[in-house]
Amino acid sequence: MESILASLGQHLFVIFGLMACAAAAVMIFSKSAIHSVLAFLTAMLCVAACYLCQQAEFLGVAQLLVYAGGIVVLFLFVVMLVELSKFREKGLFQAQAKVALPLVVAFVGVFSWFFRQALFGAPSKEALTLPPEISGGLDVAANNAQAVSRGLFSGWLLPFEILSVILLVALVGAIVLAKSERA
Amino acid sequence: MASPNAVLLISFLLFSIGIAGVLIRRNALVILMCIELMLNAANLNFVSMARHSGTVGGHAIALLVMGYAAAEVAVGLALVVAIYRRRDTIQVDDMNLLKG
Repeated sequence: MESILASLGQHLFVIFGLMACAAAAVMIFSKSAIHSVLAFLTAMLCVAACYLCQQAEFLGVAQLLVYAGGIVVLFLFVVMLVELSKFREKGLFQAQAKVALPLVVAFVGVFSWFFRQALFGAPSKEALTLPPEISGGLDVAANNAQAVSRGLFSGWLLPFEILSVILLVALVGAIVLAKSERA
Repeated sequence: MASPNAVLLISFLLFSIGIAGVLIRRNALVILMCIELMLNAANLNFVSMARHSGTVGGHAIALLVMGYAAAEVAVGLALVVAIYRRRDTIQVDDMNLLKG
């Protein structure tokens, strides 16, 4: 039992990744939109667990906050605002689904053949590093959030500031689009 | 711990499920969720490559992509609500005003 648990711990990333894939498949094939949103939530939680398995603690928690806390709630609100019951009789899938689905499965088959022995290969051993002038004596491997913030605010400052402007534009744009029409 | 190849495989699977969803579903909400799924697959790749190369750039860019995804989904859902108000549907094959 202990050896099973130990080998499970080694392959935790693969387990969570496959769970995310299963939840994503449930998401695209489920009939009800609420079920789709819940499967999306499951997939995002599994992706957050994958981040944690990759020693990206800050990103894992950010994923939990942004997706499980924000985006899924937004989707749920829209599902409740929009009455979906009258679309049932038109069918779930588009007309091109008969062509598209086998095509995607064929692509997955081709690429998986290239990856066929990769799933349980050797783990990568590198820990995160920072240039010495930025890290300033920080133990990068142990302090993930500090390391990411130093990297973000030294080399990635301009994209970060652009992101803040884009978020503001999206905020205003969403309000304008969703506002009721002029009286 | 996982090999970078395993991460590539998992994120490829997630991405292709997202593509399949965008191609086959009629519901605009599910299509938006599939786009989010594809962005997450790309993020998974960024994190894995950051770990593989030992730099924090991948983490930084994954964080930025997360922010862009939030902005995108806010605008996308506002568009869905606006289209629902105007045309009383969110099925993508009913949105054919440009078809003539």
